[in-house]
Amino acid sequence: MKLELRDLQVRFGGPDTRPVASVPELTVDAGEIVGLAGESGSGKSMTILAVLGLAGTAGATVTGSVKLDGQELTGLSGAALRAIRGRRIAAIFQSPSLAFNPVFRVGQIVSRTLRMHGLPAGQARERADAAMRSVLLSPELLRRYPSQLSGGQLQRVAIALALALRAEVLLADEPTSALDVTVQAEVLELLRELRDSRGIAILFVSHDLAVIAELCDRVTIMRAGEVVEQGPTGQVIAAPRHDYTRELLAAVPRIGG
Amino acid sequence: MPSEALLAVRDLRVTYGAVRAVDGVSLQIDRGPFGLALVGESGSGKTTVGRAILRLVPAAGGTIRFEGRDVLGLRGRPLRDYRRAAQMVFQDADNSLDPRMRVGATLAEVLKAHGLAPRGAGGGAGGGAVGDRVAALLREAALDPELASRYPHQLSGGQRQRVAIARALAVSPRLLVLDEPTSALDVTAQARILALVRRLRSERELAYLLITHNLAIIGELCEQAAVLYLGRVAETGPTAGLLARPAHPYTLALRSAVPEVDAAARRSRIILSGEAPHGAPPPGCPFHPRCPVAIDICRVSVPALRTVAPGRQAACHRAEEVLAGLPAGTAAQLADNRPGDPLSTEP
Repeated sequence: MKLELRDLQVRFGGPDTRPVASVPELTVDAGEIVGLAGESGSGKSMTILAVLGLAGTAGATVTGSVKLDGQELTGLSGAALRAIRGRRIAAIFQSPSLAFNPVFRVGQIVSRTLRMHGLPAGQARERADAAMRSVLLSPELLRRYPSQLSGGQLQRVAIALALALRAEVLLADEPTSALDVTVQAEVLELLRELRDSRGIAILFVSHDLAVIAELCDRVTIMRAGEVVEQGPTGQVIAAPRHDYTRELLAAVPRIGG
Repeated sequence: MPSEALLAVRDLRVTYGAVRAVDGVSLQIDRGPFGLALVGESGSGKTTVGRAILRLVPAAGGTIRFEGRDVLGLRGRPLRDYRRAAQMVFQDADNSLDPRMRVGATLAEVLKAHGLAPRGAGGGAGGGAVGDRVAALLREAALDPELASRYPHQLSGGQRQRVAIARALAVSPRLLVLDEPTSALDVTAQARILALVRRLRSERELAYLLITHNLAIIGELCEQAAVLYLGRVAETGPTAGLLARPAHPYTLALRSAVPEVDAAARRSRIILSGEAPHGAPPPGCPFHPRCPVAIDICRVSVPALRTVAPGRQAACHRAEEVLAGLPAGTAAQLADNRPGDPLSTEP
C-alpha cells in the first residue's frame, strides 16, 4: 500500500479530549484516487495536515500511524520529514493563490522548490518546462507573477510542481472548490490522467459528493471528526448505509431539478 | 409586457480602461416572485452586470430602468431610495460583514440608516423595537435570534451568508442581486441557502438576479436564464428549456461540466480548451477559439443575438443545429478532440 493511515487521531488538548479527526483505517494504493468527504469541520483537512506532519504546527497532537510504502512517518525528525514532504508526498490546496508567494515569478518559485529538493539548477529548469507542458500549460507562464495567472492555471502549476518532483502521493484538499465548474472539469480530468498514466496515489478531499462520484475509486465519509462510512464509491453512492451520507447526497444540486 | 418588467436593462456597456467588460447586454426581470439567472465563467462580466445594475460601477452606455424609471440618471435622495429597493448579497460574507460589529448591531445599523428605526436606539442586541425587528429578521433568515450577540467570526460560513441575506431584507427590497451566494459554501450549506431563497421568494414575492457559474443551482429558482460570455449574452430563454436543450455550444459545455452523482445522468464531457481570453475578444464569434463546432464563418463574422425558437435567443451561427441536438456519439467525439466536424451529416 502506498499510503496507509491506522488509528490516526488528531487532538487539540490532552489525551482525554475528543479528537477533531479520528481515522481508524484509510489506505490509498498507487494508481488509485480515494475520496475523503464531509462538511466543514468534519476533520478532513486535519487528517491531511496530520499526513503531512504539519498538524503540530497548528497546535494539534497526533497519535497513530501514517506509513508511506511501509515506512512510518510519525515521529520522524523534521529534516527526514522535509525530504519526504513536498517531494514524495505533494499537496495542493483550495486557494492556489495563497500557495504562491505573490512577489516572486511563478518560475522562481517552481525552480527554487526543485533545487531545494536536490535538483541541479539546469535540470530544474528542464523539469519545470516539461511538467508545465504535461499539465497543458505553456512554459511561458513561468515568467509571470502569480497574480497574472487565473485560479485554474495556478492550480495546474501546483500540480505541475508535484509532477516535476516525481511525487508518489498527491494530497488534494478541495482543489477545485474555488474554481468555476468548467475549470473544475479540466482539473479533475488532469487528476484522472495522473492516476492512469503515472500511477500516482491521490487522496482527494471534497464536500461535494458529485465530484467524488466522478473521480474517486473509493470514498471515506467523515462527520464531526469521525469516519461514518467507507467503501467503493459506486456502492456508497448507490446504497448509502449512513444517514449522513444520504444527507450529503441530497444536498448535491442536480440539473434535472 | 413593459408593465410586467421590474427591471429592464438595455444594451448595457461597462468598460474598465480599454477592456469592454460588459458589451451590449440586455436583460429583463419581472415583478416578484421571479428569478433571472446570470450564468458564466470568471471574467464573463456577470458580476459587473450586477454591480452596474446597483450603480456600484458606472455604465459606459445603455439604459437601466427600474419600475419604468431611469436608474443611470438617479442622484441624491432618489438614488438612495433606489438602493433601498434594490439590494445586493455578495459572494463572500466574510468580507461583506464588519468583523468588529455584533450581528445585531450590523442589522440595527441598516434599519437606522434607512430611517426604519430611531437613530438614538441602543445596539442591536438590546430590547425595544429595534431588537424586535432584528430578532424577526434573524428568524426570517432561519437563524436563532440569540446569534444577534455574536461576532461574524463566531458564525459558520452558511450562517454568515444568512446574516448578509437578513441585512439585505431589512429594508424590504423589491429586487435582490445575489452574486454567487453559495460558491464559498459546502454543498450542505449551499442547499440550505437555496432553500431559504426559495422560501423568501414566495413569502416576500421577491424578484432577484442570481449570478452563478453553476447551472445545477438555477433550475428550481429561476424562470429565466441568460448565459454570458466575454461580456455578451450568448444565450437566453426559459431556464427549463435552456437546460434541457441548449442552443449555444457554450451553454452545452457549461452544462456538461457540472459534476453528476448519478452515472446515468453523466453527460459525455465537453472539455473547453483553454480559458476565456482576457482583454480584446478575438475577431468573429468571441467563443470560436474554444468552440468545438466552429466553422469558417465563426472566425470572421460576429453572430447577432437572435430568436432561434419561441422565447429562445442565441448568438451562434449554428444555433439551430445545436438546438436540434448533437448527433449520437458526437459528444464523445468532442471530448476526445477527434478531428472533423461533429455537426456534419457527411459520412
